[in-house]
Amino acid sequence: MLGAIIGGAASIAGGLFGASSAKSAAARAAAQKLRLQKKLSHLENHRQGIINPYEDVKSVAGLATDLSSKMSNPFANLGVATQAAEIQMEESDLALAASLDTMRATGAGAGGATALANAALRSKKGVAANIEQQEKSNEDKRAAGEQQLQEAKIAEQRRIQGIMMSEEARVQAAQAAGKQFKFGARETREQGAIDRTYGELMGARQDRAQAKADQTGAITGMFGSLASIGGKLLE
Amino acid sequence: MEKNLNQNLFLQQFNESDAIAYNEGFTSSTSDYNFRLLENAYRNTGRIYAKLKLAIDSNNCQDETCAYELSEIKHLQEAPQLSLDFLSSLLAELSVTDDPNFDPNNNFKYTAANSVMTAKPGFSKSDGYNVYLDLLPNGAQQIVFIGPAFEEPLVINNTALNALNESNTSLVAPTPDIDKDMLRLLTEVGIFSPDMVGENGQLTAGAKITEEYVIMNPDGTPDYEIIDIGNGKGRNMLKYDLDKIEKKVTPFINAEVAGLMSSEQDAVAAWNVYISKGTSVEEDDQMVQNANAGSSSWSYTEDLPLSQDKKVLFEKKYKEYFMNNYLKQFTTNQFPTVQADAAVFDLAEAKRAKAQKFIDDNNL
Repeated sequence: MLGAIIGGAASIAGGLFGASSAKSAAARAAAQKLRLQKKLSHLENHRQGIINPYEDVKSVAGLATDLSSKMSNPFANLGVATQAAEIQMEESDLALAASLDTMRATGAGAGGATALANAALRSKKGVAANIEQQEKSNEDKRAAGEQQLQEAKIAEQRRIQGIMMSEEARVQAAQAAGKQFKFGARETREQGAIDRTYGELMGARQDRAQAKADQTGAITGMFGSLASIGGKLLE
Repeated sequence: MEKNLNQNLFLQQFNESDAIAYNEGFTSSTSDYNFRLLENAYRNTGRIYAKLKLAIDSNNCQDETCAYELSEIKHLQEAPQLSLDFLSSLLAELSVTDDPNFDPNNNFKYTAANSVMTAKPGFSKSDGYNVYLDLLPNGAQQIVFIGPAFEEPLVINNTALNALNESNTSLVAPTPDIDKDMLRLLTEVGIFSPDMVGENGQLTAGAKITEEYVIMNPDGTPDYEIIDIGNGKGRNMLKYDLDKIEKKVTPFINAEVAGLMSSEQDAVAAWNVYISKGTSVEEDDQMVQNANAGSSSWSYTEDLPLSQDKKVLFEKKYKEYFMNNYLKQFTTNQFPTVQADAAVFDLAEAKRAKAQKFIDDNNL
């Protein structure tokens, strides 16, 4: 029917149809190419930024504390057992004075008094020595206990601090690895979309080139027919 | 705008309905479609060409350089190629009006012109239509359509059409094949594994969203939704993390929209035919006929270039359209992948078991 509308040889009409559909195809391919180019640009421009997965890693050195301030010399408080001896001596002197007062009142001789005083002195020295020994022993034990307690406390603090530091380091390493994984996964996905769109773009370019070639072929075919019409008109 | 829409819809329906075949007035008269476009256009060109040639050969030009005569001869020599290029471009443009998803918001005169050029019933010379190809003095050409559907003659100039084509713009906006685009987009959004994509580049029949997006219980088993299928029976259905899915697909949808916006008139056509109403694919064919006439349509003459607000709205509605009409089928009524969980079960028993599990899990 188009032949009648256009007039002239039927091959012109056929050629026009061929050329018009080739032009449609070329226009669609061109539009598709443009669309894919825009999509590709959008994908490329909206890719995630390059990240440093270790950017949040912090030094855990702050968790280490100097424990030396918590240490003390357990022997610094050791008592010197001289006071007990002084008391004993004072007690012996008081007892001796009292005995002498009694002897003087009862009329005892001087030799008896001297013997009494010597006996009292020996007795007091013995008692004092015993007390001093016990006190010293107790003090030694307390100091040894204190030393053990402090050593145990420091060891525990060291243990807890070690756990905290290694756990913090582990968490930071895991966070960094996680970020790296997410980045890698997104990068792969985005690159996949970019590659796919690029492939489609190449396809659209080929489609357009093919459509242009079809169009040229169709129009070239029409020229023979048109020339014959022109020839007839010139006759 | 509404008048244009109605005229376009009328022409479309008229051409598709075959109603004219039942019109006795039409069937009893002779239709003359012989517009003889090229013959009329070139009727006197032979004589003019000969006169110009003679003037040059006999040194009888308007001036001694024969500039005018040489220029006219050049125009005449180039005219046939131009005519064929022009007509084939015009036919290609007008053929868009025959597309099944053609947007009737395009100028209805192009639909009428296509009807004339493709000799559709009711658009013959005997129906009052005619078409002329004019060779203009400056070497340009124009085609003129006249007839009852054209209140004023429709004139299209070849240089104007070429300029439009060169800038990747169309006389008649083609509507993108949204269905095809969205089926392809489904494979690109990264929620289906590559083995779910068939050789045709589309998802296979049994395609399922990857387990990464299935909502799970703390013990790692899927958190099923129990569906009552009647007769006291029920079935497990997978539940999906829709927020996570949306976050994943959005960048790819945005890229698709950015591509569509490379030709804003195509985006307007997509908006008018598919996107604005948010209707389903099944409804779209009817929408072209009816719903498209809605007030939410965008005009090619008034709304181009698209404002930023309209672009944002387009992107939002495009995503909704994709989510509702294409993705939703993969997130609803999905049977479990674990065979044992996919069986039909007694609903009351399952509810009791679920309640008991809740009590046990929470030490109640």
